[in-house]
Amino acid sequence: MILLKKHKHLITAYIVATLAVLATLLPIIWVGMLSLKSKGETFTRPPKWFFEPTFTNYVKIWENELFTNTFINSILITSIAIVLSISIALFAAFALKRYNIRFKGAFMQWLLIAYMLPEFLFIIPMYGIYQKLGFYDAHFGLALMYQVHVLPFSIWMLRSFLDEVPKEIDDAATMDGCNAFETLYKIYLPLILPGITATAILNAIWIWNELTIALGLTFSDSQPITLGIASFRGYISIDWGGMTSGSIIAIIPMVIFALIAQKHIVKGLTLGSVKG
Amino acid sequence: MFKNTTGYFFLLPSIIILGFTSVYPAIYSFILSFYNWNWGVQQDFVGFSNYLFLLGDKEFWIVIKNTFLFAFFACSIEVLLGIILAIYIDRINVGSGLIRSILLIPLMISGIVVSLMSKMMLNKLFGVIPYLMKQIGFSSGFYGTKSSAMWTLIGVDAWWQTAFVFIIILAGLQSIPKEPIEAARIDGVSEWGITRYIRLPMIRSLIFLVILFRSIDTLKIFDLVWGATGGGPGLSTEVVQTYAYRTAYGFLQMSKAMTIIVIFSIIVALLTIFYNRVDQKIR
Repeated sequence: MILLKKHKHLITAYIVATLAVLATLLPIIWVGMLSLKSKGETFTRPPKWFFEPTFTNYVKIWENELFTNTFINSILITSIAIVLSISIALFAAFALKRYNIRFKGAFMQWLLIAYMLPEFLFIIPMYGIYQKLGFYDAHFGLALMYQVHVLPFSIWMLRSFLDEVPKEIDDAATMDGCNAFETLYKIYLPLILPGITATAILNAIWIWNELTIALGLTFSDSQPITLGIASFRGYISIDWGGMTSGSIIAIIPMVIFALIAQKHIVKGLTLGSVKG
Repeated sequence: MFKNTTGYFFLLPSIIILGFTSVYPAIYSFILSFYNWNWGVQQDFVGFSNYLFLLGDKEFWIVIKNTFLFAFFACSIEVLLGIILAIYIDRINVGSGLIRSILLIPLMISGIVVSLMSKMMLNKLFGVIPYLMKQIGFSSGFYGTKSSAMWTLIGVDAWWQTAFVFIIILAGLQSIPKEPIEAARIDGVSEWGITRYIRLPMIRSLIFLVILFRSIDTLKIFDLVWGATGGGPGLSTEVVQTYAYRTAYGFLQMSKAMTIIVIFSIIVALLTIFYNRVDQKIR
């Protein structure tokens, strides 16, 4: 009895945790099960808890060129956007750490506001501008527009990683005759490489899941996977098999990414203000 | 100090790209909100009449009400639930890493997938949740009826985003120094007392940060609503961003859409500046 009282808090904690884990996992498991059911079994009443899994939905979606194109598009757009944001943000973060920039506060404020403002403030005017520039429905155009979100984020993240590098290392490099570029590439870059990887992964998760900007600035050729999945929710008929298997295909890579970058997620979610 | 011109040189690419992707379209939107551009050649200066029209438009006010209703309840539920979860799971030593990883999963799923998952599970005819509810004698229209659609969206958003609050608050709780807690424990303060009077006050600025983040994010909600209800039934779940999308892309009333989003952006920008003040205190 005394033992029970002592562990009362721990027992409730485990009960709460179990409930939360179940509430989180059950919907995902259920959709995963739906994706493995054959067409006739999908929505039987009562629902079938045990069934023979079939991969027909996955084979079908893989043969669906419209969907696989969006999958490839997403990989392309994500890669372009990450290379762009990380390389540019690295310079900016370096400048903010090392140099006495006037308007530094104003610049940081601008980053935050650009990051926070509603997407349609940018998308609606860009819809016309992009068509004139030839960026509309183009991979590069979308990757460029994504910078409004991923660039501020990357600058924050990389700056907080750079701040962890002691200043003495920089001074020593300067004494040895390194110029600014050399200091950045030879000294800082190797030291913050894990931070760069984490930032790239968190960017990838955001870009992969982005729908709003893509909806506004693409039409067919460069639609990402989010719009590919949305298209299964057609106006005429709903492709349940496509929806379930497409959802699972979209979820899995991001969950793996998240597990890799888990150590830095809290830092990412708070724009670098809290260390995880 | 190093030569400052080099610093500006390093900053230049970011300024150019952010200028093009944020300042340019924002100014463009702002200017066009004073015109009557409907995606044609006609573009007359109309002064404040777009603004005045919206202020007198019943539809616009319904949309504003929906947006703030969604943001208020979704944000409140997520913050409360997230803090409670963090408090409990903070006590767990064995297996907490695994629990944390699992609870994080919804955050990694895109809004459109969450919306479609919820549509499949809540579908009146074939969804598993209405079926299970029926077994115990409950029923709800979920996305199908005007009275329940908004609450369903709020619930789904809570499933999706509670982990955001949980994970940040948990990190905050775990970074609290052990000494004051040990001291209070020796003085015989109960576990809840410690949480109430020591732990939560110590992370209050973090809680504030989370509330601001969630409120801005819920105000801006788009993909979940667009995917799940598209603003319907009727206008019952139409929020600012879906409304702006429909006005611009559906009705091609570009200037009206820009006016809506400019008004809304000012609200978000003010919240952001407010947030920045708090954030600087935390850092």
